[in-house]
Amino acid sequence: MALRKAKFRHFSYFILPALLLLVIFVLYPTFNTIFLSFVDSEGNLSLSNYREVFSSRDILDPRGLERGFPFGSLIHNLMWIAIHLPLTTLVGLFLAILLRDVKGGGIVKSIIFLGMVMPMIVGGIMIRFMFEENVGVVNLVLQTLGLEGKTWTAYPETALFALIFGSVWLWTGFSMILYSAGLETIPNTYYEAAQIDGASKFKMLLKITIPLLKPITVVVLTMTLLWELKVFDIVYIATMGGPGGSSNVLALQMYLYGFREWDFGKSAVVAVLITASTLLAAIPMMKSAGDEAE
Amino acid sequence: MRGFSDHLSGLREMFTEKQIYIEKGVFLMKKLLVTVLVVLSTALISSTVSVIGPWSGVEMDAFLPVLEEFKAKTGIDYTYQTYRAEDLANVLPAQFSAKKAPAGVIFMWSNFITSNTQHVVDLSDVIDTDAYIPGALDNVKTSDGRVFGISYTAKVKPGFWYRKSFFESHGLKAPTTWDEFVALLEKIETIPGVKDAIASGNGVGWPLSDVTEHFLITFGGPELQKDLIEGNTTWRSYAVRNAMEKLVYLLEKGYFSEPTEWTTILEQWWNGDYGLYFMGQWITGMVDDPNDLAVFSLPGNRGMVFSIDYAFVPEYATNKAEALELVKFLSSVEGQSIQVAQGGHIATVGVDMSNYPAVDKEIAKLTEGVETLNDLDDSIGGLWQTAFWDQLKLIWVRPERLDDALMDLDEKMPK
Repeated sequence: MALRKAKFRHFSYFILPALLLLVIFVLYPTFNTIFLSFVDSEGNLSLSNYREVFSSRDILDPRGLERGFPFGSLIHNLMWIAIHLPLTTLVGLFLAILLRDVKGGGIVKSIIFLGMVMPMIVGGIMIRFMFEENVGVVNLVLQTLGLEGKTWTAYPETALFALIFGSVWLWTGFSMILYSAGLETIPNTYYEAAQIDGASKFKMLLKITIPLLKPITVVVLTMTLLWELKVFDIVYIATMGGPGGSSNVLALQMYLYGFREWDFGKSAVVAVLITASTLLAAIPMMKSAGDEAE
Repeated sequence: MRGFSDHLSGLREMFTEKQIYIEKGVFLMKKLLVTVLVVLSTALISSTVSVIGPWSGVEMDAFLPVLEEFKAKTGIDYTYQTYRAEDLANVLPAQFSAKKAPAGVIFMWSNFITSNTQHVVDLSDVIDTDAYIPGALDNVKTSDGRVFGISYTAKVKPGFWYRKSFFESHGLKAPTTWDEFVALLEKIETIPGVKDAIASGNGVGWPLSDVTEHFLITFGGPELQKDLIEGNTTWRSYAVRNAMEKLVYLLEKGYFSEPTEWTTILEQWWNGDYGLYFMGQWITGMVDDPNDLAVFSLPGNRGMVFSIDYAFVPEYATNKAEALELVKFLSSVEGQSIQVAQGGHIATVGVDMSNYPAVDKEIAKLTEGVETLNDLDDSIGGLWQTAFWDQLKLIWVRPERLDDALMDLDEKMPK
């Protein structure tokens, strides 16, 4: 008993510094932010911040149903997820399979991965110019195909999509690299056995590759989803949420409430919303990790 | 034995003495080294002033000669950093609450300076307030008359710039009525090689707000600008709508280009892709041949935005004495003469006209008889300014959304 107490004491000495850091830099700010979201401008505890934020057109704009963008930052984030998530996952998987065991594949993968390595602020500036009418590479391609180009980030109907597709270019390297690593863990004997049994390449992909890449897929989906919920820097630098709020996202709105309007209560509400969403998104990954451990 | 031990003692004494001398010597060297380091670092730290300003590129190149002259005159070195005012507005409050400042002299909006006087050095007895043109310091004065910032040079936003050579080669002339203005735009649109009649600069949004303010002032009068700044009228009022509808008419006709990064489109306009470009006076310092420049205001215009650059010294500046020397220089005739000679600036102290380039003298003539006004979005600031720029970017490409935009602007006005 005494030995166990001593062991526990020693254990706690080692864990205490990390715990302290966790409490000071993670738990305290989180709970303080949640508390702040319930403090109104008079200093009283109430739900007025939540009422103001969720009734604000910056978060949800029903006028969008009639006239188009903007729909509100919450809807824009959901659209971002709906387009960016499947595209990045599928394109990353496709590239990983395509460039496997190909001469020069490593160099190509490194080039694709550059998008992940560069700061997102730089990525945002590049997206802004990529979609610009006169100097943008996107318009150059469109004009080669005989189509008319424009400054995609200047129009409410296309600004958000320009950012989303630009971010697919930036983020695909992440899923590609994870899938590349995952493909290396699949034993070749499975494919050889399948070949002997007469399975086609497509059937091998469906029945061997994709199922065995499930843990990687969970990680890719979760990490991508978390990033999409928190996306800020690309939007800030490329469009500042415009024109007319048509590319606004939750994280940028949180910043505008806090550092332009100086209303930290409303900013805290958006922070709570983003945190709750990311926790929900992280549950499948935690569950998957738990299943694997068992 | 006695002799040997005496000899040993003698040696011991000799070595001990030597050791003492060596130790003394090392001690003195250490003292000297520390003294030199302290003097050197004190000299280095104390003779440098850090400056934060909004200018980069060509505009920064026009400001640096002023700092160079200050350095040559006082021996005080400088460092210059570019920071946008809207970014400083986020950073400075936190720094001030920690009793820190990122620089010794900071260029910032006047409303920020007067809202943070507890963190700003009172300059009433530092600068020569009588040397300023009347009203130049009003925006950095508190109600009790104390001055918390300097007015550096100003820029006016006179109207639509054009190249004289472009107009001459296509037989165009500056309009004197609204109908002539629209006819001019129509004519420019038909010139081969011209993409649009008017280039629209973009960035965070201020170039579009400059054009918009010109329309508000022309069709609503200087009173409208003042009422909007003070919050005495709404964005859905008849006066605002009337002015905005003139602008929307031109946007719907396609006379304005898509908003494009303002320095990129400046080059394109200079090369003849566009006929006109609404820009502030600083354009004269950014083109190859300022003598080829000319400008006209919208016919009937009675007011002009006179945009002064203000600077202050934070209480927490590390080299406050040096910073105060710099603000004295920047508010002096000598300092501002160097700046105006670069082109694109108007002095706020009594600088002789001979210091101005020819094109800036022409601009000075344009300001005769018109009322000088504060910049609208800089005066209101905060979230509203961001919303104003954002809504203008929307109106520029979707002018039919004017009603929604005006409603949003009204809702976001500070209460």
